[in-house]
Amino acid sequence: MFSLHTFRANLPRRSFAATSMRTYANQTSGNPMLEVFNRKTKHMQKDRAAQNVEESRNVDYLKDEVAMRLCERLLKTFANSVLACDQDIKRKFPNVLDLGANSCNIARALTTPNLDMAAPEGVATPPLAERISKLTCVETSRALLHRDEEMPFNKEIDITRDVIPDLESLPYEPNSFDAVLSSLSIHWVNDLPALLDQVNTILKPDSPFIAAMFGGDTLYELRGSLQLADMERRGGVSPHVSPLADVKDVGSLLNRAGFKMLTVDVEDIVVEFPDTFALMQDLQAMGESNAILHREAGPLSREVLLANEAIYRSLHMEEGAPGIPATFRMIYMIGWKEGKDQPQPLQRGSGDVNLKDILGGGDFEKP
Amino acid sequence: MPARTRPVEKFAKATAQCSVEAAAYGKCVVSDYSSVHKDMCAKEFMRLKDCFLAASKKAN
Repeated sequence: MFSLHTFRANLPRRSFAATSMRTYANQTSGNPMLEVFNRKTKHMQKDRAAQNVEESRNVDYLKDEVAMRLCERLLKTFANSVLACDQDIKRKFPNVLDLGANSCNIARALTTPNLDMAAPEGVATPPLAERISKLTCVETSRALLHRDEEMPFNKEIDITRDVIPDLESLPYEPNSFDAVLSSLSIHWVNDLPALLDQVNTILKPDSPFIAAMFGGDTLYELRGSLQLADMERRGGVSPHVSPLADVKDVGSLLNRAGFKMLTVDVEDIVVEFPDTFALMQDLQAMGESNAILHREAGPLSREVLLANEAIYRSLHMEEGAPGIPATFRMIYMIGWKEGKDQPQPLQRGSGDVNLKDILGGGDFEKP
Repeated sequence: MPARTRPVEKFAKATAQCSVEAAAYGKCVVSDYSSVHKDMCAKEFMRLKDCFLAASKKAN
């Protein structure tokens, strides 16, 4: 047994107190991680929300809607890739991952028949699920993931449910999935670049990652009115609505993770609520309440709640409208893992046709 | 079993009965929202609060 002091003698004076045995400095692996959200809080919120099964199902309207729209994009993506590569139109995905599955809303959307809006009317199109042999749903909250286990849609698609401690480290082999889908989950991830890196790794070459998440201006009404209420009642501001990624950052994030052929688009869904209390109740029941790291402990004070209701109404309620609007801004992103036979953009300057000859115009007078 | 009324529902109900006071308070804050400071609209808020308290008492 050697003395600890022999080690400590070499260390600079500002070293830690000897309360801990690990007095040597160790290098953190990879990038230093910035924590924004409290993972434990989020986990607790999701679990609690899902335990009230009925209410939790009632507020699934947003997640179900977004899952549907996501699957529409999946369909369109393949229609386009078929045009581009002249592949079999019935491309199959043997192995698909649903990253942050909530209550498997994507599985439900996948089993919905007649999803294809482009199909001629009256022609029944089979649900997307028929092209998927195995769907792995991964989620951090067990209660939420297993909430709808007994529902009929489970029989129409082969679902494996995996509970993992956090979404930022995925326990899957590289090159193992034919598609990774994610709906309304990754806005709670602390280290989005690292997660996207991992997604890129676990995808097979020339496979898509299609995701939807809440973006920057989501709930801007609530954010603003709570700030005003806080200022007027208490003289300071505390973050009550979690920060979200901005649309303009998503493209570069995907690019950085090595995705190709990116598509990023934004859609606003405006939901009307009778009052701000109903809005906040629904957010809570969705498990989407604030989880920022340094949030104030305990609920909002009643005074602020009262003030917020009044301010929200006078700022955002339209004359004569029955309720207040709340905007949810969805960012949809599609990126493909690099593949061998993937269509590539041509080199810059390699075009030999002048678009001006085809389209005409472009003559501007010089000032 | 009748559903239990959650405190927040009572709160919302009582607030809904004070729309006039709420509008006055909201207008006061919004009128100068770039420079809101503490108790800027204290008078209006007290009126709203009194109305709210009276309304919630009546409900019980």
